[in-house]
Amino acid sequence: MTELPLYDPRKRLRRLLNVDRDIGLLFAIGGGCLLGTFVLFLLNSTLAVVPLAGFLAATGYGWYTHQAETARALTFLATASTIFILGLITVYVFVEALPVLQRMGVRLFGFTEPVEIFGVTLIPGVDSFWSTSQHTYSLIPMIWGTFVTTLIATAIAAPLGIAAALFLAEIAPPFVRETVKPGVEILAGIPSIVYGYLGFVVLNTFLYENLEMANLGSLFLVGLVIGLMALPTVVSVADDALTSVPDAMRDGAVAMGLTEWQTMKSITLPAALSGVSAAVLLGIGRAVGETMAATVILGHSQVLPDPLQDVFDNTETLTSLIASQYGNANGLHMNALFTAGVVLFITVLILSIAARRIELRMDHKLGGGQ
Amino acid sequence: MSYTTETELVVDNTSTAERLASAVVGLGLVTFTFSLVSLARVITEETTILGIGLYDFLAVGLLLMGVGTVTLGVGSRVGVFNTSPDVTPGLVTAALFGIGAFAIAGFVASQLLGLGTLGWLLLAALVGGATFAGVALAPEDLGSTLPPGVAAIGVAGLVLGGILTPAFAWEPEGFSATLTGSMAIPLVLSVTTLVTMWAGAKAYEGYGSKGRQTAAYLLVGINAVSIIAVLVALLLFIASKGIGPAFQGFSIVPLEWPFVTNGYSFRPEIVNGVFPAIMGTIWLVIGAVITGVPVAVAAAIFLTEYAEQGRFVGAVEIATNGLWSTPSVVYGLFGYAFLIPRLGGTTSLISGMLVLGFMLMPLCLITSREAIKAVPDEYRDASAALGVSRWETIRSVVLPAAMPGILTGVILGVGRIAGETAPILLVMAGGLRDDAPDVLGSFEFISSPPFVANEALLESAPALPYQLYATITAGVSAENAAEFGWATAFILLVVVLSFYAIGIASRIYFRRRLNA
Repeated sequence: MTELPLYDPRKRLRRLLNVDRDIGLLFAIGGGCLLGTFVLFLLNSTLAVVPLAGFLAATGYGWYTHQAETARALTFLATASTIFILGLITVYVFVEALPVLQRMGVRLFGFTEPVEIFGVTLIPGVDSFWSTSQHTYSLIPMIWGTFVTTLIATAIAAPLGIAAALFLAEIAPPFVRETVKPGVEILAGIPSIVYGYLGFVVLNTFLYENLEMANLGSLFLVGLVIGLMALPTVVSVADDALTSVPDAMRDGAVAMGLTEWQTMKSITLPAALSGVSAAVLLGIGRAVGETMAATVILGHSQVLPDPLQDVFDNTETLTSLIASQYGNANGLHMNALFTAGVVLFITVLILSIAARRIELRMDHKLGGGQ
Repeated sequence: MSYTTETELVVDNTSTAERLASAVVGLGLVTFTFSLVSLARVITEETTILGIGLYDFLAVGLLLMGVGTVTLGVGSRVGVFNTSPDVTPGLVTAALFGIGAFAIAGFVASQLLGLGTLGWLLLAALVGGATFAGVALAPEDLGSTLPPGVAAIGVAGLVLGGILTPAFAWEPEGFSATLTGSMAIPLVLSVTTLVTMWAGAKAYEGYGSKGRQTAAYLLVGINAVSIIAVLVALLLFIASKGIGPAFQGFSIVPLEWPFVTNGYSFRPEIVNGVFPAIMGTIWLVIGAVITGVPVAVAAAIFLTEYAEQGRFVGAVEIATNGLWSTPSVVYGLFGYAFLIPRLGGTTSLISGMLVLGFMLMPLCLITSREAIKAVPDEYRDASAALGVSRWETIRSVVLPAAMPGILTGVILGVGRIAGETAPILLVMAGGLRDDAPDVLGSFEFISSPPFVANEALLESAPALPYQLYATITAGVSAENAAEFGWATAFILLVVVLSFYAIGIASRIYFRRRLNA
């Protein structure tokens, strides 16, 4: 019974903000103005500046009279805005995608042949995967393209990156580590369009000539470039995970007579496994969302490669679809591009939540071990 | 006296094996480096080294390595070399060698002997299985040296014997690419070299757990060095291509740097430059910092100083991570759907600023929160003990102490968004221009709401990363488009990487000061 008032949302909010009665009014005005600004902005009215000025005035007044409370309220607003912005992105991307989602339904993931299991049609077939004249939009070729490039990128970045992190964290002498680690972090900053330019100008022709390919641009090259791009990030994050393993665990193993390499294999790597896999998941998230390299390198054809495993063929990825077609898209076509955004958004959100979960588990495990 | 003699004997004995093993590894390092470089076709089959063709030269190196490795293994078995091998190399090694043997045998049988599918499968499975069983049952010294040694001698034989030549071509079924000899030879050489070096390093330490450690360290080290070498080579390549055109017409007295101070004028007699794009990027960064950073720092203060761990904080953490990992192109779509219709209806500089601000916010929030968390609680306690209120403590104790960390986070975040192309592609665009956006000079007051207008903010503006993309799609004035692109890429790299370098350097500096 005594616990109940704590869950009263109004009391809780008041406790959170530590609001006195006299400045409650001020907050009400400020909050009301901010809400008004947002609503008017949503309605696309230039009058939004009026409540915005009101909000600024209320804030300014509050800052001079009740600085501590105003600061607290403002920081709370900033914190709440993270949830708000994520919500806004979700709503707007979904709403724009809705017309095509309704039109296509499950055929958004349709193949040219209907998908049947035991004679029950699960997904009806589509005439063509991507046709702007008939307004048929199936994302299957793009999903396949994203899947293949991500797979290739991960196959490159994960093992090589983890091995390099192992070298930095466990093997390299301190002075090498202290010079190389910042270097790797700087290399992680090379913008993707620079990789894209390199891929477009140099690597595309290089592979075309030396692998005698049928066309410029291939999923293979995109995967290769993204993998190279993700390498420094994976190295850096996996290195952090490895160095966060308490020294006591290593010392115990060495005291038992294990060599350093055996310690790494059987103690350090398993202990850091969660952190290392979080690093890999983050890298995968980056690879899925990587836009420019794919856009610049690929030849943009919205069909599945024939045969399917031909990674040297041109296809499309979800990201490059958006970046290459937004320019001449309108109406349903534009909505269709937003469906690609929805698929990307959900995939990466799931990856990010999974990575976060794994990270928390690692903190918990190692924290408990100390 | 007898003690010294005995040691001398032992030292003499091992040093022969050690010398041979280090020769194998050293030769391997050279062969591997050359193979990698020839994979990039910097040196080709036409290159001659010491009077013989490149591939023959590498194959001779591999042949010597193979002979050396076999000698090391057999020598250890018959007792010439003083070693301490384990009973078996282990199942993992056996399995890896088995797979390797399967691949080599299958390749030789299907491509060089021309056997049918059934034939090569059968032969490959036979060789692979035999290798697996042989390695698993053999003692460690033989099991880990003979297969790499034999493979090295075999591969070297294929190349030297003219069976695997640059003219070789293998078109795998179902792939629209051909593995040509000029790609296949360096690939096969480098892989075989790596495995043989691994065996050599193992023999160097006399096998056993110490040998496995040295061998593993060698491979892990080569991997790390190769990664860094490839990435640095990439930077140097861009610099070598870009520095020339970027410094065209550069002089110190009088100070002139046309590429950085000129616009893109489409006139042949004037050096085309990226000044508008640089200004555009600067304005984008300023706008993003103004919109993103205060919110991020305020939220970080609330999360560390006021909030208690609960459902709200949990939700904020999920939202922050979600925003952090949302692909940049999705931010672009969001800006396209939400901001553009409300900010003039066309792609504009201010939409670009806001979208990048949204992207910058979670980056700065995470780093600022870490920075504020890192301020020792003693500071807060001391301040509270003096009777200072909570907000005063935050303002005059916690924030100043956390400021270096927050700044570092902001710099790194800015480095990241300054190179972003995908979001501004959708919300800002802006191609090659002669004039820079004049944001400060375009402010004017008008009589109807919103009472303030700024033409420059509501127009598209060029930006460095987008300009690079535009160079690719538009193929600007064909003749020196590539040069212009390389120079733009170089300037973009310098801008972005200096943000990173400054951020990381300041982080190291302040971390050291905090720990001291």
